Amino acid sequence: MLGTGGHVAIVVGLATSVFAAFAFVAGGRRRDPTLLASARRAMYLTFALAAVASAVMITALLTHDFSILYVARNNATTTPPFFSVISLWAALEGSILFWTLLLTGYAALVLYRYRDRHAALMPWAGATLALIAIFFFAVMIWPGNPFIRTTPVGTEGAGPNALLQNHPFMGLHPPLLYLGYTGMAVPFAFGMAALITRRTDEEWLAIVRRWTIVPWIFLTLGITAGAWWSYEVLGWGGYWAWDPVENAALLPWLTATAFIHSSMVAERRGALKIWSSALILATFVLTIVGTFLTRSGVVASVHSFTQSAIGPWFLAAVILSLGGGLTLLVWRLPDLGDRERPAATVSRESAFLFNNVLFLGITFAVLFGTLLPLIVELFNGGTISVGAPWFNRVNAPIFLALVFLMGVGPALPWGGASWGSIQERFGIPILSGIAAVVVALAAGLRDPAPVATIGLAVFVAVIMGDELVRGTRSRQRSRQEAAPLALVRLATRNRRRYGGYAVHAGILVMAVAIAISATQGSQASATLAPGGSLSVRGYTLTYTDLTTAPLADDPRVVETRASISYTGPQSGTLATALRDYPNSDTLIATPAVRSSLGEDLYVTLIGYDAGSQQATIRVFVNPGVVWIWLGGGIVGLGALFAIWPDRRRAMATVPAEEPAAAPSAPVEA
Amino acid sequence: MIRRTIFTIAVVALLALAAVVVVDLLRPAPPLALAQQAAQLESELRCPDCQGLSVAESHTTSAAAIRDEVARQLQAGQTPDQVRAFFVARYGEWILLEPSSPWFWIPIGVIVLGAAGFVAWLRAGRARSTPIPAATDTVDADAARQRIRDEVEALDA
Amino acid sequence: MANGSVWLRLRWLIVPVVLVPVVAVLFIGFGRDPSVIPSPLIGKPMPPFELATLDGASLRSEDLAGKPLVVNFWASWCPPCAEEHPVLLDLAQRYGDQVTIVGILYNDDAEGAARFLTRYGDGGWVDLLDPTGTTAVDFGVTGPPETFFVDASGVVRGKQIGPVTSDLVAAQLAAMGVQVAAQ
Repeated sequence: MLGTGGHVAIVVGLATSVFAAFAFVAGGRRRDPTLLASARRAMYLTFALAAVASAVMITALLTHDFSILYVARNNATTTPPFFSVISLWAALEGSILFWTLLLTGYAALVLYRYRDRHAALMPWAGATLALIAIFFFAVMIWPGNPFIRTTPVGTEGAGPNALLQNHPFMGLHPPLLYLGYTGMAVPFAFGMAALITRRTDEEWLAIVRRWTIVPWIFLTLGITAGAWWSYEVLGWGGYWAWDPVENAALLPWLTATAFIHSSMVAERRGALKIWSSALILATFVLTIVGTFLTRSGVVASVHSFTQSAIGPWFLAAVILSLGGGLTLLVWRLPDLGDRERPAATVSRESAFLFNNVLFLGITFAVLFGTLLPLIVELFNGGTISVGAPWFNRVNAPIFLALVFLMGVGPALPWGGASWGSIQERFGIPILSGIAAVVVALAAGLRDPAPVATIGLAVFVAVIMGDELVRGTRSRQRSRQEAAPLALVRLATRNRRRYGGYAVHAGILVMAVAIAISATQGSQASATLAPGGSLSVRGYTLTYTDLTTAPLADDPRVVETRASISYTGPQSGTLATALRDYPNSDTLIATPAVRSSLGEDLYVTLIGYDAGSQQATIRVFVNPGVVWIWLGGGIVGLGALFAIWPDRRRAMATVPAEEPAAAPSAPVEA
Repeated sequence: MIRRTIFTIAVVALLALAAVVVVDLLRPAPPLALAQQAAQLESELRCPDCQGLSVAESHTTSAAAIRDEVARQLQAGQTPDQVRAFFVARYGEWILLEPSSPWFWIPIGVIVLGAAGFVAWLRAGRARSTPIPAATDTVDADAARQRIRDEVEALDA
Repeated sequence: MANGSVWLRLRWLIVPVVLVPVVAVLFIGFGRDPSVIPSPLIGKPMPPFELATLDGASLRSEDLAGKPLVVNFWASWCPPCAEEHPVLLDLAQRYGDQVTIVGILYNDDAEGAARFLTRYGDGGWVDLLDPTGTTAVDFGVTGPPETFFVDASGVVRGKQIGPVTSDLVAAQLAAMGVQVAAQ
């Protein structure tokens, strides 16, 4: 009963989005505001229907309605309510439903927000969003139906994948990531609209930049949350392995970040239209690839992709989006060329654009490393591995170069820098960076990566600090404001610039934290009898006992916990466990992590012998890990500050109104 | 002016640091202890039944077996290269997490070409279009801009 | 773009030039199963070993020469090994006179092996203990179950990662010249 309701909502949703697409195209061509209004309403309705279908699925999961196959496969009577709800994105069909919900949500929001503005672009942006919605509704009707029934109806379900119900972060990471992915459809839609209507001027760019930063924030937080989840759950002590799934999430982030920077140059110079369009297209296509690769949410199941029902549809999605976008871009290419080169050789423009070269370089390297084994195997029979060591070796220097540019770029003036101005700005920062390197070396740090990162981070921080100080002082002088007030006013009057600085500060924190945690960690493992201890880096861990019991909130899961007391920079007790989930062959490790601002104490139970009560534990001491998550938060907050609407500016600008029925040049199809 | 002197000092210090780094790199590396060699190899060998983890990071039985074998071989006097060859002969190239050198250079090459092409593109544009007058004294220019902005806002208030 | 119309026409080539490789890579790359890893041992002589049986006697790989050999790495804690066991029992029954079967325990002990055989059936072939895991590494085993097909002259002809099926076994044996009955 419930399932039928959900399915009906999806079918109707397909119908409304088809109507919306037609109405947008017809309304756009005929400049008919009534048609456009009904198209918008159709999209609002589509969002409502997606919401209904999602609500149905969540209700079915909470009430353990095993008449629905998806629920039978991903839920059990013992599944706690929180994990039942988040099982919405536990597997393919539910993930697609969730994706559709978020996409139609973004579409409805954007269409509502701009209902009285940008009359030339909106019909075509709306049509593009409607087309994307049509595709995903179609997927939910044919290959990936979330509401397929089971007969006969079982009394018990398989339960969620063990890794999914191990940690509450599973409620955080996928939604953030999907908000990032789906959000990239909006700049894509405006990009297509701009190409169709040939309105590739500042209006388009301003919208697209804002609507790239919003999903970018979610993507950044989502990727950080994913690394954090991986660290807390998977038990290998690390947080990023350059796994194909991780890489698939990172790729659109790289191209989106490149776009955010080049768009600032494009806006200033009225140039780089081809480049901007290409980056927006690439970002969206990469999110499609990423969505389908991470469909199972946890493990990269790239196995026999084209043999599953969803494979051909995925391929079609890529062909349609990439092919369609590329065709449009190539068609309008003659209109998009730059009249002049936008930059002097040493200027803020060239620094921002050079960062694009580096970001695209990392994108290429990651794609190369992920796909190379597949290509080699095709020609060779045998295959090779491209693992974390290779990715780190290739990408680390490029990331360091980007950190360097983060300092240099904003410090160079627009238009070009003279040698004199360079000497003025960079002397003290360079010296500070060198001093930091010397201090790091003197403190005993020998690894080149963290030493270089620290030096560059201090270099960038001093440049940013110098900028803050000068701006505050100038404001103090001209307005007679006290320093703190001057600083606040300075920042809030220049949100874009100072939000950008905050984002860069967050990146610096993450860079240093990553460099240190990746190279300065220690680990040890031992098999201990009760009472035995193990020492690592100032910590002494004593294993006390082993208990085996079913979990309180899910009695089907049997957990064996090893209790450990520890002393050192942090002291206390912890319990690390191995859990036996009914639907998993192997035992799932639940590591115990004790975090402090200085380091993390990370303990995994590798094995145990019930008879002798011996436990094999593995201990990591990972310095600075907490700062990675904090840094990610700073990046998100900084970006939010940067795009936060400035009420004063909003009052000053008059929205570009276009009389809806004006007989201007006919719209070219 | 004092800032320009500081800049000169900074550049000299940077060159000195670079020289120290180069000298340090050129010095032959001291031979690693057996434990360190083992740790290095363990981070290079792939755990056969994991998703891309090294045997150093993995706690599966196959990883443990490989770690034991690495220790045994090093104790028996094999060089790291010989140990690597041993595993490649049994598992294939796939057991090494980092592919052998030639592939490594392609992305670096692409980036270098991209950077060179970018610089060439910038310079070509400069030659063609009218050069943009470079700001001579940006410190004052920024402050001036800020003053103008403040004054305009003061007019609004 | 102020250049000639040739470039204007040629620009359409960008679409297939970009699209075709991308689609090809996705199609090919994601169509294969990454768990099938070809073994470098195929075509080479089987690695020699000398291991203890469950009763404590010693067996050398040289003693097994002369007949086609099926080497099965397994463990009592491995569920797919239980799944494939009937296939091996069937193999022993049908072709036991033409083919030698040898089991090698992977990270397991005699008690575990005995429990498994009592529960799932003892096919009568020899099971060997590999306590140090050296033999498993020599064969390039990634995890149980893994089965190697070795011909009468001692050269490895095939490898299966994961449980074996009767069809697979029949095909491998036929390739080694064993008389295979119609399934």
